[in-house]
Amino acid sequence: MIMPPTVRKIVLVAHIVSSVGSLGAVASFLALALIALTGQNAQMMGSAYVAMEITARLVIVPLVLASLLTGIIQSLGTAWGLFRHYWVLAKLLLTLFTLVVLLLKLKGISYMALAETTSMSTDLLGLRRSVVLHATGGLIVLLLTTVLSVFKPRGMTPFGWRRQYRGDNGTAHK
Amino acid sequence: MVDRPAYPGTPRWVKISGIVVGVMILLAVVLVVSGIGGPHGPGRHLSLPNASEGPPAGDDL
Repeated sequence: MIMPPTVRKIVLVAHIVSSVGSLGAVASFLALALIALTGQNAQMMGSAYVAMEITARLVIVPLVLASLLTGIIQSLGTAWGLFRHYWVLAKLLLTLFTLVVLLLKLKGISYMALAETTSMSTDLLGLRRSVVLHATGGLIVLLLTTVLSVFKPRGMTPFGWRRQYRGDNGTAHK
Repeated sequence: MVDRPAYPGTPRWVKISGIVVGVMILLAVVLVVSGIGGPHGPGRHLSLPNASEGPPAGDDL
């Protein structure tokens, strides 16, 4: 079902804001993770992990989820479709992958915030490095999805090709 | 009746991206299996951290 132009633009704005917003939030998260990894001040490191947990739970997860949902609505409500073009499919898979990894890392982030604020005597260097590594990966993946959205590299999936020549193609832009 | 043109094939950028993703997955598997990347796996990610216990299984998430 093709969305009316006004609805399509509203969903598009929501999609752009949530996608680019999540990119900025992950960049901030990475900055905090780097400070916490390399810092010498225990109080600052503890504050960084608390801020990271809040940023992850209340900003990054909702934004990535909103980006995923608005992207699905946007693709299904326009002629682009969800499985017709490789770039749309790639964005879907990359965003899903980001969300799954993020949700899996949340417990570790919470653990670090708890450990830092309660002065637990555990060696968290591995966890700290892991968070920096995954945040860097997340930033790269979100940058890739942004690049895909702008460049829209050509190429239809076999499914999209069949649908196009069945007579229900369109030219609406995402 | 107009015949449907033949499918032009998978674009080059998709093939190259697929190879890159495959290499990265292979690299991750090698790192985990060799132990360089530390213990890994869904169990480690899903283990509930508890303040009375150590960090979630291993030195990494």
